[in-house]
Amino acid sequence: MDRRQFLEQVAAWSAGFSLATPIFNVASVMAADVKPQENPLLTVAKGKEYGELVTRALKPLGGIAAFVKSGDRVVVKPNIGWDRKPEQAANTHPDVVKAIVEQCLAAGAKQVRVFDRTVNDARRSYNNSGILAAVESIKDPRAKCVFIDDKRFVPVKIVNGKSLDEFEFYQDALESACDCYINVPIAKHHQLSKLTLGLKNAMGVIGGNRGKIHKDLHQRIADLNLVIRPRLTIVDATRILLRNGPSGGKLEDVKVLDTVIASADPVAADAYATTLFGMKPEQVGSTIAGAKLGLGQMDLTKIRLVDA
Amino acid sequence: MRRPLWIPWRWWRRAAQLVLLLLFLWLFRRTEYGSSNELAGGENLFFRLDPLVGATAMLAARQFLAAFWPAALLLALTLLFGRFFCGWICPLGTLLDYFHRLVRPLARTSNRYCEAKLPQRAEETLRATRYVLLLAILVAAVFSVQLVGYFDPFGLLFRGLTFAGDSHLDRSASWALERVVSDEAVGDWQHWAREEWHLLPRQGQIFQLAGLSAALLGAIFALEFVARRFWCRHLCPTGAVFGLFAARTWIKRLPNKVCRACDQCAVDCRMQAHRSETDFLNQACNLCMNCVDDCAKGIVQFRPKQAKPSKGPRRQPVDLSRRGVLVGLAAGVTLPAATMVGRLGRAGTLDPYLLRPPGAGDEPTFLDLCIRCGECMKVCPTNVLQPTMLEAGIEGMFSPRLVPRFIFEKSYCEFTCTLCGQVCPTGAIPRLTEEEKHKQPTGKAYFDHALCLPWAENTPCIRCEEMCPTPEKAIKILRTFTIKGPDGEEVEIHQPYVDRDLCVGCGICESNCTLEGKPAIRVVRVDAADPGTETQRQARG
Repeated sequence: MDRRQFLEQVAAWSAGFSLATPIFNVASVMAADVKPQENPLLTVAKGKEYGELVTRALKPLGGIAAFVKSGDRVVVKPNIGWDRKPEQAANTHPDVVKAIVEQCLAAGAKQVRVFDRTVNDARRSYNNSGILAAVESIKDPRAKCVFIDDKRFVPVKIVNGKSLDEFEFYQDALESACDCYINVPIAKHHQLSKLTLGLKNAMGVIGGNRGKIHKDLHQRIADLNLVIRPRLTIVDATRILLRNGPSGGKLEDVKVLDTVIASADPVAADAYATTLFGMKPEQVGSTIAGAKLGLGQMDLTKIRLVDA
Repeated sequence: MRRPLWIPWRWWRRAAQLVLLLLFLWLFRRTEYGSSNELAGGENLFFRLDPLVGATAMLAARQFLAAFWPAALLLALTLLFGRFFCGWICPLGTLLDYFHRLVRPLARTSNRYCEAKLPQRAEETLRATRYVLLLAILVAAVFSVQLVGYFDPFGLLFRGLTFAGDSHLDRSASWALERVVSDEAVGDWQHWAREEWHLLPRQGQIFQLAGLSAALLGAIFALEFVARRFWCRHLCPTGAVFGLFAARTWIKRLPNKVCRACDQCAVDCRMQAHRSETDFLNQACNLCMNCVDDCAKGIVQFRPKQAKPSKGPRRQPVDLSRRGVLVGLAAGVTLPAATMVGRLGRAGTLDPYLLRPPGAGDEPTFLDLCIRCGECMKVCPTNVLQPTMLEAGIEGMFSPRLVPRFIFEKSYCEFTCTLCGQVCPTGAIPRLTEEEKHKQPTGKAYFDHALCLPWAENTPCIRCEEMCPTPEKAIKILRTFTIKGPDGEEVEIHQPYVDRDLCVGCGICESNCTLEGKPAIRVVRVDAADPGTETQRQARG
């Protein structure tokens, strides 16, 4: 190897190594300024057939067509956080998720993605929650239950945030990549936030150290929802977790209610879901913080309640 | 024996090598969580074919391990056919043969590389090495010191592939994909490569000791530059076991010496089984069958006929002199003694953070049974199982340990998972049901009140309580009170504690502790808080 060859090789290898360094996409998304309704509509459906419950709950709201337009890229965001079985009430019920995805497909969605940044191992949570199998059983290439790719979190400025001014969000959940975000939380007990409902479900599309949120949990959850603005919130209360949440694991802590709640107003959905636990909306900090930020209506007397 | 179906023997061998290498790689890929907590079984087959790891585990733990019946079967076949394992089955041997083909062009331009034969002196000096190694490993095992992980070919291969090869493959493939295909299609391609075609692991893993594992495996391949099958001929202790059983095989090579007119077979022999001063060496021959195919006169054959042994000094010896035996014995005795000095140096206490996989039992028995194969670490879905470095002494290197927080928020022992016990070939990690696993804690969690936010700084947190997976949470709230926040609002503080009767030591609290840097809750060995336990006394030696 002469000097020229040596220098060429050094240059080639260094170029190769420097190309191998990761590239970060820094995006800044302005929070959409959606004005919530003063008297939002909220529907409550009860029954044993969970798939059919979803249809019924959506009907007074104008059906899925009021939210999903033909050609839309839809994100359905259930809670798949835990390596638990459906009956343990730690994750959204697979039948509820499946019914929503089917409705979106029927409304002509171009693509329906289902995902969650899990707490437990992602593969185990997707499988044991039954949600992966439920989405795959639809057998439509437009519907996909996909694993989170850690490289797709991007920093986003939170305009008007009180406790957070920036956080990492999942690119595919942002308005630039999704036309309709449907939030499908399960109603559960949670020691620090009292209950984990719709607003807290946004924790599943943020990156970074999620533990940091806990230092000022209620306000920070509300702040996250300035960025993630679901068009539709469907609270799965087919069975709720009363104690030892949010992970659960004990069937004695589960109460079967066979209920599904739907509303375009995320705060209203949380406020009503709180009553299923025998609590008042004012007892859940994130609901109060959300209402103060103007995300929705928490006054039950002002919500138009419809039994579907 | 005639060439079957008029196809040359070497093609039969190559076919077998390829098929078995693919089987090895297929089993390697299957050693991961797919969609069920029950694995199909047989993932650890190649380790159970290895008589060396079986023997050392049985000697060290003084237990009969029926799981090693495939190795016993193989030894019986070796008595009949010779060391065919090394030429036809061993995936490392196959890879070395492929590597040789890859680097042979170098040998064309320079004749320094890849020759079949070493200089005579070097051959003679190195001849006994594998037997000396084997003896040292077995004797040390009798003294309950497992050195097999440093020399076992499957362990070196499997760990090299897992710790370094696969994790690198996963990253470089993803990196390349992101640059070649469009942003939307990356997910589809990854799905295809991971779930459909199993070209990549389903979940990428990262390991400590990756560099060392790659270097050890790389060294074996690098030795191929010195001479063909250098590792197999001179160093491999598993090959030595097969060599011992092959010394007096039923199927023998005829003729058993080199012809006067032509010595081409001796020159070409990749195992150097021909020697001028002795008969053909069955203990070296790996039955590659090239000499049968290539003999100009067509007289070479392997048959069950008693070849007439030559008289006098032309007997067929095992390459082990009396001095070699002495060296092996001395090494086998000295190394355990040396590790004992190491244990005294650690003042007889185990590292309190040295957490073993669920059900592993007391430390000495675990280290006796563990053959450092790496199966458990490969299958672990959260990557919490990591190879031990020197925390358990040089004799504990490569054994698995739980490192919660190895990957922040991701590495902990999954509450419902029992995969490591399903792939362990020796039962060092027992096969447990979920219920049994929960009764065998891997450790117990302890708070550091000087760091914990609610205790030290009046700041809300209890992330650990949120994570705790036991049906009745093992992290409980000792005290709840409200303070005035910066804006005068009321802030509720919960101060947590661990109910150690319920704690299973999974480490999800440690892994998820909000503090970046040192966690305020750590899992400690069950016996670490109590210096009077049996394990601690045994650790003292």
